[in-house]
Amino acid sequence: MNLMQYMLAQQAIEETFWRKAPGQGLILWVVIGLALGTGLCFLLSTVPTNLRKKVIFTFTFLAGLPYVLAFLWPRPISADFTNDVPRNTGEQIGFFINQAVEPVGTLTNILGGFLLGVGIFSLVRVHSIRIKRKQENWGYSLVLLSSFAIMTVVGFWDWRLRAFVDQTGALNVRDNWQPVNYAQDLLFEGIYQQMDSAMFSMIAFFILSAAYRAFRIRSVEATVMMASALILMLNLMGALTYAWGEGINNLVVQTGNPFLMNFKLNVFADWLRSTMQIPAIRAIDFGVGLGALAMGLRLWLGLEKGGVTA
Amino acid sequence: MTIWEKMQKVDRRILYAILVVCVCVGLFFPTTIPTDPDPSSKSFYAEVMKLEKGSTVIIQTDWTNSTRGESMGHFENLMRLMMHGDHKFVFYSAADPAAPQVARTVLARIVAERKGQGLREYKVGEDYIDLGFFPNAEATNTTMGSNLRSVWANRKSKTPTGGEVDVWQTPVLKDVKNIGDVDMMIVVTASASIDVAIQRLAQKVPITAMVTGVTGPGVLPFYQSGQVKGLAIGLKGVYDVEYMMVNGINDVEVEGKKVVEWDKVGKVDRVNEGTTFSRGRAYYGTLHVALVLLILAVVMGNVAMFASRRRKGDAV
Amino acid sequence: MFNWLQGEQYLDTAPVGIFVTLLVVVFILVNISRAKKGSEGLFIRRISGLNAIDDAIGRATEMGRPVLMVPGIGALDAISVQAVNIFAQVTKSAAQFSTPVRLCCGNAAVYAFAQEVIRDVYSQQGMGDRFTPETVQYISEQQFAFAAGVSGIIHREKVAATFLLGAFYAESLIFAETSNAIGAIQVAGSTQVTQTPFFIAACDYVLIGDEFYAASAYLTREPVLVGSLVGQDWAKILVASTVLFGTVFQSVELTGMTTEHRAGNAMVSVAESSNGERTEERKKKTDTMTNRLFNPFIPEELTKIEREKKETAPATEGEGE
Repeated sequence: MNLMQYMLAQQAIEETFWRKAPGQGLILWVVIGLALGTGLCFLLSTVPTNLRKKVIFTFTFLAGLPYVLAFLWPRPISADFTNDVPRNTGEQIGFFINQAVEPVGTLTNILGGFLLGVGIFSLVRVHSIRIKRKQENWGYSLVLLSSFAIMTVVGFWDWRLRAFVDQTGALNVRDNWQPVNYAQDLLFEGIYQQMDSAMFSMIAFFILSAAYRAFRIRSVEATVMMASALILMLNLMGALTYAWGEGINNLVVQTGNPFLMNFKLNVFADWLRSTMQIPAIRAIDFGVGLGALAMGLRLWLGLEKGGVTA
Repeated sequence: MTIWEKMQKVDRRILYAILVVCVCVGLFFPTTIPTDPDPSSKSFYAEVMKLEKGSTVIIQTDWTNSTRGESMGHFENLMRLMMHGDHKFVFYSAADPAAPQVARTVLARIVAERKGQGLREYKVGEDYIDLGFFPNAEATNTTMGSNLRSVWANRKSKTPTGGEVDVWQTPVLKDVKNIGDVDMMIVVTASASIDVAIQRLAQKVPITAMVTGVTGPGVLPFYQSGQVKGLAIGLKGVYDVEYMMVNGINDVEVEGKKVVEWDKVGKVDRVNEGTTFSRGRAYYGTLHVALVLLILAVVMGNVAMFASRRRKGDAV
Repeated sequence: MFNWLQGEQYLDTAPVGIFVTLLVVVFILVNISRAKKGSEGLFIRRISGLNAIDDAIGRATEMGRPVLMVPGIGALDAISVQAVNIFAQVTKSAAQFSTPVRLCCGNAAVYAFAQEVIRDVYSQQGMGDRFTPETVQYISEQQFAFAAGVSGIIHREKVAATFLLGAFYAESLIFAETSNAIGAIQVAGSTQVTQTPFFIAACDYVLIGDEFYAASAYLTREPVLVGSLVGQDWAKILVASTVLFGTVFQSVELTGMTTEHRAGNAMVSVAESSNGERTEERKKKTDTMTNRLFNPFIPEELTKIEREKKETAPATEGEGE
C-alpha cells in the first residue's frame, strides 16, 4: 500500500451536499485545496484592522449556525442522514442541517492540525533561542528538543513500517520486530507512559502537603469544612466504618432506640453527600452552564468586545 | 523556634518521605478488611447482577495508564462480572486514543486467567467486540442515541479464527437494531466524559458507571436523580464490588449472618467462580494507611498551630 | 398534522428544554440591550479574587519576577476564550508596571488565539517590543507533559504570582502546590466543579463556579458583559423558582391517590397489577404531572420510523443475514 492508496482508503464514501468524494482526482483536489487555502490566508492577512472584526464575526457566525439550527430544528427520528431518503420537506431540512454539522467539525479538526504546527514552531523557537544564547538552564532545552526529534523520527518510522511495509500483520508479534519497533516501544511504553503515571501519582504528595497546610481550624467555616472532610475520609476506611457500625448496632440492641442508627459513619457520610454536597454541586453546575451559554451566545453574535480587540 | 513552630513549618519533603514509606509497606500485605459498601456501589453491583444471563452490554472505557490505580481495578472487576454472567459486550473509547489499548491488555489478562482456572474462554467476535476509538464524544454519543447502526457502520471485528467480519454480523450485535435493544451501558472513566453519555443516552438505555475518586462527586448528582443507576467510586468502589462478589447482598452466610445488608433489593447472588478478591484487596489496606497519615497530618498541623498560638499568647 | 415536527431533540428533553433555553437566550439579549442604554445602575458584588490582581502584580513588580497565567488544558471554547479575556486585563495592568508575563498553553488553538490577544494588548499600550516569544508559550497537548512543563517554568523562573483560570483537571493541584512551594500569590478558578476543592485547599484566592464568567464584566464594566451577567441572574432566578415550584408541587401531588401507575411508556392499572386486591394506591414519583412535564410519553411509532434507502447507498451493514 502506498500513501495514495492509504489516503483513498481513509476518505468517506457517502456523498452529501456538503461533501463530495473526489475519487481519482484526489491529488489534484488536494493541490487545489492547498492553493485556495494559502491564497485565502494571504488575503485575510491583508485585511485592514477595522474590517478584521467583521470578517471574524462572519466566520464565527457561519460556523456556529449549523449547530444552533441542529439544536432547534426537529431532528428526524432514527434517521441515517447519509443513506436514508427524507420523507417530507420538514425532514429534508433536518437532513440538510444535520449533514452540515459534520463538515464543520472536520474543518475545525483540520484547522486544529495546522495550529498544532504553529504551537510546535513556538516551542522550538523558544528553546532554540535559549540554547543559542546559552541562557540559564539551556541544558533542559537541549533535552527537550532532542527528545522531540527522536520521538518524531522513531514514531513516524514505526508507523510507516506497520502501515505500508508490513502487509501481513507480522509486526503485531513481538518476535518479528525490527530495532525501530523496539525503540518505539521503549520510548512510548517504557518511558513516556511511565512518566505520565509518575506525574499523576505526584498528586498524592501534593494532597498531603495541601491538607497539612489548609485544614486549620481558623474560623467557623474552616471548622465545618474540616469536620465534614474528616467524616468523609473516615468513611473511606472500610475497617473503621465496619467497627463503628457494629458498635452502633450493639448500642441499638441495648437501648432499643433505632434513632442511633443515624450515627453510623456511612449513613452520616451519605447524608452529608446527598444533602450538602450534591445540591451544592448542582447549583454550581447551573451557574457554570448558564455562564457558558451566555459566553457562547456573545461570541456567536459578535457581542463580545474582548478577544482580539481587548 | 519552639518545636511547635518547627512543626508548623515542617519541610514538605519529610511528609513526602513518610508517605512513600507507609504506602509502599501497605502494598506488601494485602488483607481482607470487613466493610459496609456504599449505597451507590451496592446499586451498581445489584444492577449488573440483575442482568439476565447472556445480556448485551455496551462498555465505554475512557481511562488510561495514569489512573490505572483505580480504573484498572474497576475494569478487571467489570470483565469478571461480564464473563460470570455470560454477557456479550462491545467496548470502545470516546475520550482518549490510548484507552482501547489499555482495556485490551486487561481483557486479555482476564481471559487468560479464566482459561487457566478451567472456565469458558471469551472469544473476540463471538462474545465481545473491540470497536476502538471514536473521536468527538459529543457527536458519537448523540448519534448512538439516534442511530446506533450508522455510528458503528464499517467497523470490523476480528473473529476467533483470525479473520475479519463486519461487527453487525457478529453474534454480539446481530439482534441489536438501536440502543434500546441493549440491556445496559457501563461507563468506566477517569474524566468528565460520562456527563456527555448521560446527557445523550440516559433516557434510552440504563447507564451504570465506574469512576475515579476525583470524578465521583461530579457524577453523584446524576446517581441521586436516577439518571445513573449504579456507581462505583474510586478505590473504595473497587473494593466494595469485590467484597460483594465474595459475599453477595442479603445473602445468608454459613454462620447465618448477612455480611452485606441492603433493604433496597432482595437477595443478590455472590460470584461463585474464578477470581473475586483481587486488585481492590491488594490496594485497600494502603488506602487506609494513606488516609490515617492524612488525618494525622491534619491533626498535627492543628495541634501545632494552637500550641504555638498559646505560647505567643503567654508571652504577651 | 404536526407529525413531521416531532423530532428527536424534542422527544428527548420535552419541548420544555428548548423553551427554557430560548427563554434564557431572550433574558440575556434583553438585558444586554438594557445595559447598552445605561449600565450605571447595575451593581456587581465584590469578588475578592479579582481585587487581588493588582496586589499580585504589584508584588511581582517589587520582586522583579514574572507573572504566570494558565488558561487550563481545554480546547478553544467559551471557557478558554473567557480565560484569555481575563488574562488580557491582567497583562494590561502588568504592562503598565513593565512586569513580564508568561502565558502557558496546552492547546495549539488556544495558543494561537492567546498570542494574538496578548500581542494586541502590548501594542495598544505602546510596548510592542516587550512582547517576546516567551510571553505566550505553547507547552504540550498531553495533560501531564503540560503539567511537568509548567511546573518547570514555575520553579525555574520563580514566578511571583500565578493565575490559574479555565478548564483544569488532575493537574490543578500540581500547579497550585508547586506555586505555593515557591511562595507565589495564587488566584485560581476552574469550571470543573471537582477541581475547585483542590484550588480552595492550595490557593490564596479562588473564583467559584460562574464567578469565572463574571470576571471580565467585573474588571471592565463593559455594558454588554454587565447586561449579560444580569441576564444570567434572571435565568438563575428562573432555575431556582422551578426547583422550588417543582418541590412543592411534586410533594403536594404525591399525597394524592391514583388508579393507575406509569411503567415506561405505558399505564398499568392498580387493580390489574394487584390482581384486583386494590383499586387505588398512593401516587409514585413517576405518576405526577410535574414528572411528566420533563419525561413525556414517547409512543413507539414516534421512535421507530422506517425510511427508504437511497439507491446509491451501500446495503446497511448487518441487515443482510
